Amino acid sequence: MTKLGQWLLTLGLLGGTWAGLTFDALGLGLPESGRRLLWPLPAYLLVAFGCYSLATVGYRLATFNDCRGAAEELQAQIREARADLESRGFCF
Amino acid sequence: MGLVGFSLVVFTYYTIWVIVLPFVDSSHILHSYFLPREYAVILPAVAGLLLVLLVGTFIAVVMWKSRKPAKKTD
Repeated sequence: MTKLGQWLLTLGLLGGTWAGLTFDALGLGLPESGRRLLWPLPAYLLVAFGCYSLATVGYRLATFNDCRGAAEELQAQIREARADLESRGFCF
Repeated sequence: MGLVGFSLVVFTYYTIWVIVLPFVDSSHILHSYFLPREYAVILPAVAGLLLVLLVGTFIAVVMWKSRKPAKKTD
């Protein structure tokens, strides 16, 4: 099965379970607190995933360090390339 | 790090709202810090739509600005 098929199957199963329990299709009679928790769950999972993504991006932004050596090496290579191209008549 | 703090606050508040409150007695004062439960779905949905609106507007503006004149007069 393709990856898309796997994702759709998983989502379909989870969504079907959620819908079945929320709309009491099987007449299982969940306690009131359980039902109150259950129905916003898809929205909750989306918001939780969004928070996790935001936190990961923020953390990696904050801990990304400068690479002084690599930066200087790159700038030296840029100057070298520029000089080489100018000597061949390239106009900047 | 502000992003991390912000998302932690949002996650904690939202988790208490959706996961914890159903198990808290309805007379407890904790409920007074939270809107009715419907808003736990409406607010993120509205925020998501707003985000899509903003992203779409941005793309439209950028594409509009980058259009080239169709005909060139000689």
